[in-house]
Amino acid sequence: MIIVLSTITFLLAYVCILTITALGGMFSEKSGTVALALEGCMTIGALCAGIVMHLLPDSMPNGLAALIVILVALISGGLYSLLLAVASITFKANQTLAGTALNILSTALAVVLIKQVTKSEALPVGQSRLNYTRFYEIFNVSFFGIKDVKFNWLILIVLALIPIVYFVIYKSKYGLRLASCGENPSSADSVGINVAKTRYIGILLSGILAGFGGLFLLSTSAEWEFANGANGIGFLALAVLIFGQWKPLYIFLGAFIFSLFKTLSVVYPSINFLANLGISSYFYLALPYIVCLVVLVFTSKKNTGPKALGTPYDKGKR
Amino acid sequence: MNKIKMFFSSLIKKDSTKTVVTSLWCALIGLLLGFVILLCINAKDAAYGMSSVLGNFLIFKTPTDRWNYFGQTLAKTAPLIAMSLSILVSYKCGLFNLGASGQYSIAVLVISFLGYGANLPWWIVMILAMLAASLWALISGVLKAFFNVNEVISGIMLNWIALYLVNGILTSSPSVWDSSHSEAQRITSESNAFIPSIGLDKLFSGNQIVGLGMILILVVVAIIYILFKKTTIGYEIKATGLNGDAANYAGINKVKNILIVTAISGALAGLAASLNIQNGFTSWRLSSAVPSIGFQGISAAFLGGLHPIGIVFSSFFIQHITDGGSMITDLGFAPEVASIMTSVIIYLSGFVAFALQVIHKNEIKAELEKLSRDKEVKQ
Repeated sequence: MIIVLSTITFLLAYVCILTITALGGMFSEKSGTVALALEGCMTIGALCAGIVMHLLPDSMPNGLAALIVILVALISGGLYSLLLAVASITFKANQTLAGTALNILSTALAVVLIKQVTKSEALPVGQSRLNYTRFYEIFNVSFFGIKDVKFNWLILIVLALIPIVYFVIYKSKYGLRLASCGENPSSADSVGINVAKTRYIGILLSGILAGFGGLFLLSTSAEWEFANGANGIGFLALAVLIFGQWKPLYIFLGAFIFSLFKTLSVVYPSINFLANLGISSYFYLALPYIVCLVVLVFTSKKNTGPKALGTPYDKGKR
Repeated sequence: MNKIKMFFSSLIKKDSTKTVVTSLWCALIGLLLGFVILLCINAKDAAYGMSSVLGNFLIFKTPTDRWNYFGQTLAKTAPLIAMSLSILVSYKCGLFNLGASGQYSIAVLVISFLGYGANLPWWIVMILAMLAASLWALISGVLKAFFNVNEVISGIMLNWIALYLVNGILTSSPSVWDSSHSEAQRITSESNAFIPSIGLDKLFSGNQIVGLGMILILVVVAIIYILFKKTTIGYEIKATGLNGDAANYAGINKVKNILIVTAISGALAGLAASLNIQNGFTSWRLSSAVPSIGFQGISAAFLGGLHPIGIVFSSFFIQHITDGGSMITDLGFAPEVASIMTSVIIYLSGFVAFALQVIHKNEIKAELEKLSRDKEVKQ
């Protein structure tokens, strides 16, 4: 029973991390900018939240500390994504290149800063681990009084955010403008929509949500190795976004399928039937990515993505 | 005298010169930012740290050490050049080979078994490694050409699949796995699979990792240069990259070009593995992160202005500061400071096109102003 409950909470946590990050990516891609920097924004969100966790005094009340950490993750992710916005909107740089640069930069920054913060602990070379047991306990509370099952309450925030995002994308003025900038920026511009501003806001939102995703990822364990950045979850979110066909509900579904296989790689040793098969643990680790690739084959043929995705808007071409 | 003057003024006006100058600016800003970070971490040692990063092998006192480490940097530049070429070739066709790291991993797997395990001659191992990497890259190519799967995403997925595949196979093969160091067995200089030094090691204080590989990579650079400058297929690839639909309409087979390009860029990523592993310098380390060389290749390719010859210099520069970065750990700095510098440089190199556009606009403006002034004088 305990195993089942822990599995479910693990699964739910991953579904939420992938969903919220992919939804962030959706704001960026709907505006016409490739969201390759999701991984970087997650890493930076996690990094800044982690450093603040390390620096906050123990005497601070738990609720206030959690609030500060969440705000830091949101703000830092948003600010970092502005670097992508400046490069791809103002300077019309290649978006894949800028995104890749920001991803590499985020991991390098994380390693350098975490080493700096944890200087006194004298970590071995090549490691940049941060331990934050107190905050793990703040974010993961006992589940209906069962001691061994931890429930991450950030899940509730994500579940509350999904309908809001749905509303913003489909029902609000901004959502429609956003989509028009990603589909046909020239005609959006011709009816008086500020393409650059709309895209800036789209990327900013993606960074904010990805930063939250980074914090959520961090909160799933009591320590984190920053040399691996966000462990590739940002890239997975991007894949979820693509095979979710840029639609919030499909994204949620895609995230669920993915997380199912991700969970499998963690819990398979405790399932007798699977453990007896004698398949290498590496196979289970690779499984989510293999499934993703296969699903992409079936969903990519009909390209339903924003038409102006990846192309900087040039007024002169109108 | 006048001729020399004209030569220089035409050189300054050339687009390639402008690209070089703007790339140098990117490098300078990246380095400055790195220095600021060093200052923030430890102001006292920052100047010395920066000089180690920039000096790399020059900080050693004896000429023997200097030549030894200079050779090491050169030898490590060779695989980076191969990797950048891999990125370059696919980019010319409008594809972004983010899966280069995965192709590299697969090649490493082949080298471990055929090079260390079967002890085959080095050139056979090299060719087979390139072939394997090429086939792995073709998965992405086929998915792109026939199923319209975004190559960036499939490349990223294949990177992780390759990582776990190689980790899984190597760790369960005791014949090629050195479990005490948790890395694959290294190829030694006695092995058949070792790329011969052909006497080059004597120039670099007997550092045997310097060898034929360095000459080989320059030949490959020349081949790629000729491919895009002189051959029909190179022209077709570029046409597909500039506008796939237009090229298709003009009778250029887009699908064929995508497949050829992914195969070539995969082979180049495999060559990078071969040049990195078959001189015994390193091997596959058990890791939970995708090898970073693929991303470094992207840095070098773009910093080199996406030109085969530019790439030779940018690769050396990046390897130089990366090696320099690994020397500042003693001062309490993380070697990743160098990685921060390179990533800032790539980020900025995205602005090069914009900067060139601005320069171009200003030039036209100046020209027009000059013309109108001349007109006024005449009137």
